[in-house]
Amino acid sequence: MKNKIRIAIPNKGRIKQPSMDALASAGITVLEEERTYVSKTSDPRYEAIFARANDIPVYVHYGAVDLGITGHDLIQERGADALELLDFGFGKATMVIAVPEASTITSVDDVPALTRVATEFPNITKKYFESMGKQVEVLEVNGTAELAPKLGLAQIIVDITSTGETLRKNKLRIIDNIFDTTTRLACNKIAYRTYENEITELLDRLRGGLEQ
Amino acid sequence: MFKFQDFDGKLLALRAEMTAPVARIVTTRMPSAPEPIRLFYITNVFRYNPSYLKNEREFYQAGIELVGCNTPEADGEILALLISFLKQIGLEQVRIDLGNASLLKDLQNAAGLDQKQKAALQRLLSCRDLIGLKKFMTENNFPADLCDVFVELSRCRKLSEVSKISLNGSKYEDAKKQLQSLKELQKALVDYGIDDLVYFDFSLTRQIEYYTGMVFEASVPNLGLPLGSGGRYDKFIEKFGKLDLPATGFALEMGKLLQALTAQGFEIPKDPKTKVVVACNSTKAGVEAVNALRACEVVASLDVTRRDLNKTLEYGKLTEADYVVFVESNNSPVTVYDLKSDKSKTVQLDAFIKSIGGKN
Repeated sequence: MKNKIRIAIPNKGRIKQPSMDALASAGITVLEEERTYVSKTSDPRYEAIFARANDIPVYVHYGAVDLGITGHDLIQERGADALELLDFGFGKATMVIAVPEASTITSVDDVPALTRVATEFPNITKKYFESMGKQVEVLEVNGTAELAPKLGLAQIIVDITSTGETLRKNKLRIIDNIFDTTTRLACNKIAYRTYENEITELLDRLRGGLEQ
Repeated sequence: MFKFQDFDGKLLALRAEMTAPVARIVTTRMPSAPEPIRLFYITNVFRYNPSYLKNEREFYQAGIELVGCNTPEADGEILALLISFLKQIGLEQVRIDLGNASLLKDLQNAAGLDQKQKAALQRLLSCRDLIGLKKFMTENNFPADLCDVFVELSRCRKLSEVSKISLNGSKYEDAKKQLQSLKELQKALVDYGIDDLVYFDFSLTRQIEYYTGMVFEASVPNLGLPLGSGGRYDKFIEKFGKLDLPATGFALEMGKLLQALTAQGFEIPKDPKTKVVVACNSTKAGVEAVNALRACEVVASLDVTRRDLNKTLEYGKLTEADYVVFVESNNSPVTVYDLKSDKSKTVQLDAFIKSIGGKN
């Protein structure tokens, strides 16, 4: 039977190091990180799993891990039924809709029916346009959605941006923000019941660490 | 839900759950059945879920309903049955988390919240975020007595703690009734001897509209999703025509039960019956041998393919048979090939049956 609490951490990217730092400040230092997927930590009750940030919501949903550190945007996109117990505050970004600078579209109201939208986030995109009463064709791409308008693949993109630099470089203009996102501590619902005391204690320590 | 038209243009749907079909049967086929009525089902249901995380379309449910009674004893029976069932199939560390579908709704209405505020409050309660909850209530001008009740209820983990909470004021009549029903349920749980396995979760209200009283989920620590759920629905069956028929019940997902058993290291026991494949030169002798084996409760099949004996031996191994028996002719000794040890011997069929413990 499983008895250690498993916490998933992104295996690369910009939120990996801040996630490990936040855990360390709460007394969980990851040991033997190199070349392993499951790592021991300085707290024997916890073990760390390194996984792709966009898989972490799925792991948490099914309870393959009890806790996971990942972006709010990814939890939304994967439709995971997980509790977001804590907002770490880092990994700040905004989910935006953007069009080429030369486009005549200035707001979502101007988007014609059946416009093709390129995005890494097809579920968020579909939901958003449905809520606006717009029927669009969603083109799923893996990364570099900003390239799609240049290649004539799509007239609009939905993408995540933190500084807006990439959008500007690619001559894209933001017409709307869908939501702001940060890094969250996601928790499996059954695990929160089973390990409530341990997880509550961890939350207190993480909050203490974030305030410093 | 899967909905489609048949060739007459009639609208059809695949059942997404069994409570509605049970309500229909109770009202139309069992109008004079003595109450309470106890029903069970084990069947497949069909759901379409646009989320690609939940991409199962068909799954099997096992469930029960207790119709025509709204006492705490009836709720207690359902929960006790759920727990004993889960234990009996071999699951360990079973727990039930229970809430009340009306209590939170009534308190939210007393606080005068709109849809958006309700969603925000639900999130805070699910995360058991007391700091966030207090902040939310201050920002939304909750009356002081209501604030206390929200905080106390989200702190409660057992029904015995809920029993100590009191609520004053005529505004809260509906909520008071639900608190009283939880108090009575706690007593019933003690009587059924299951109060140590049932936990209270104020935020648990289930998404299904028809629940009116207790709602619950069953789980084990080894599986990250609930095994099943249920609750009390006192105003649902009347929609099908028969008035005032309170009911309570639950449904378990059989796939999840299997996953949970596997996660707890449970292995499906091997069929203890001996399996024999009979090959023959004379069909008549083969049929007689097969019949003799079956009469002694041995699982026997005749190789009807006319293939080479070596092929039959191979087939026997692949299908996990214990022996291949080759029959030359009636009453003559048979050759027994033991597929586990690859040894063979020539014996009388009766002696072979006796040697493998065939019952006669």
